[in-house]
Amino acid sequence: MTMEKTAQKSKVNVPLELSIFIAIVVTLIPIIWIAILAFLPNKSIIGSSFDFSFWLGNFRTLADPSQKFFRQVFNSLTITFGTVILTLVIGSGSGYSLSKLKPPKWATTPVFILASFLPIVPPITLVPGIYVTLTNLNLLGSVTGLVLVNTVFNLPFAILMIKSYFDQIPDELREAALVDGASEKRVFFSILLPLAKPGLGAVAIYVAIMAWNEFLMGLIMTTGGGAAPLTVGIASLVQDYEVTFGQMSASGFVAAIPIIILTAVASRQIVSGLTAGAVKS
Amino acid sequence: MKNAAVSGRTRGSFSLSGRRATSVVALLPFVLFLAVFAVYPLYELLKLSFQETEVLDGEFFSAFNGLDNFKKIPDDPLAINSIKVTLVFSTLCVILTLVAGTAGALLVNSSRIFKSVARNVFVWPAVVAPVVVSVMWLLILDPTVGLINKILETLGREPQIWLNSKTGALISVIVVDVWHWTPVVFLFIYAGLNGINQEILEAGRVDGASESQLIRRIILPILLPTIAVIAVLRTIMSIKAFDEMYLLTKGGPEGATSLISLHIRKIFVEILDFGYASALSLCIVVILGLIVGIAYSLRRKNRSR
Repeated sequence: MTMEKTAQKSKVNVPLELSIFIAIVVTLIPIIWIAILAFLPNKSIIGSSFDFSFWLGNFRTLADPSQKFFRQVFNSLTITFGTVILTLVIGSGSGYSLSKLKPPKWATTPVFILASFLPIVPPITLVPGIYVTLTNLNLLGSVTGLVLVNTVFNLPFAILMIKSYFDQIPDELREAALVDGASEKRVFFSILLPLAKPGLGAVAIYVAIMAWNEFLMGLIMTTGGGAAPLTVGIASLVQDYEVTFGQMSASGFVAAIPIIILTAVASRQIVSGLTAGAVKS
Repeated sequence: MKNAAVSGRTRGSFSLSGRRATSVVALLPFVLFLAVFAVYPLYELLKLSFQETEVLDGEFFSAFNGLDNFKKIPDDPLAINSIKVTLVFSTLCVILTLVAGTAGALLVNSSRIFKSVARNVFVWPAVVAPVVVSVMWLLILDPTVGLINKILETLGREPQIWLNSKTGALISVIVVDVWHWTPVVFLFIYAGLNGINQEILEAGRVDGASESQLIRRIILPILLPTIAVIAVLRTIMSIKAFDEMYLLTKGGPEGATSLISLHIRKIFVEILDFGYASALSLCIVVILGLIVGIAYSLRRKNRSR
């Protein structure tokens, strides 16, 4: 053991480790910088020299009842939560069907065509059609409307991922349960679904990140109104002519840090979840 | 239930048709959802692109005008410019993220000290909202408050105004895109690297191959299919790019960073020429469809070989 350890130690490649260290720093600079500015008053942000005086004023301004900040955070949370639930419900049913129920070809072909075609369509091109649809459904400028739209954009990927998780569960398990007299419904809910839980978790995290980060649909379908998500709120700070760099940093910080922490904590699960399908294909 | 086990044969054939019905019903919500929110908008896009649409007092008036909308494209210098910008942007972004991501994965894979840290940190930019990414980089590149100018001024140098110059702005948005999306490449290549059978590499080492020979002769050829898939993925992503440029440069200065998505948004939302915007959109959708179609058939050909 000790021999092996010393052998490993002597193998440390200094230029290699140094270049990785530099890459880590470059990756982190924008994140650290926004975190620093979030806690600085505007006057030190604008000043040409470095002046670090810790200040919570940016967050206090955002928390002011006259600001839409809390409303937007709440909207984003609702949109994220709703999208994850709806995507998992529809995705697990359809993914299970594709994997284990052997649906007829006339039913699977449109599913596969849609699932592979939608991801390549630039969202901006679907804007007029979705706008008309939401208007007809009376959902324009509503959180529900954004939940539906986000679900549509996440479903194709989710369904393919969930199918690949169900593919990994042996068919014999399902057949044995059926032979023992369990109903199709029972097999799905009590046996197969619990087994696919880790996979569903990875999909849930991925969809949550996508929904939390979504901007274009939130911008156009709410036009900055009461249902606007946080991303749209941040964008409106960027476009204002008054100087709001401090608030911009603080709200960007609030939008980014929870997601980064989630990634850091669940990194292994996300990575294995997302790459499983792609590497195999 | 007891009966079912006894008359297994008949139940078997019966449950097959039951399963068939269940299988179709389970797919229904997905198809319905996409029909309403993807197929219908595409149909609407197709319709609009062959029509002249006007908005009067909040009401839409449309009239069929054949290919007129499509004929406008070659005469629109802004559209031609956007296509050029998108081509330059996409080509550079795809190549740079592929190189950086692959290099990163190879480095991290043979690292001893930073392996676990780098594996985690290198994924972070990809999970940050594009809107927040533009804020982050605005705070670095901005001529008045940006970090770079603070450093330059502290060192007593001339401040930069990259975002206000045409080349500077294009390079800036490419740098931002590379920072944002290299993690995706890194993720997949790193996973691919870990899937390589270690015995093959050991055999190579025993035969006296150097590490760089191993990478060039064994690792990269094995990873090639994965790299190809990511190249297609990244191409689609970069042609779809919108959020970062919309906030960071608004397509400027003088259209230097006006990607096709930004140009289409402008025609849809500001100029309100729905027919022309739809025609342009349709062309982009068809081009992307062709790229994916060709990539897919190439892969099938390679596989059957």
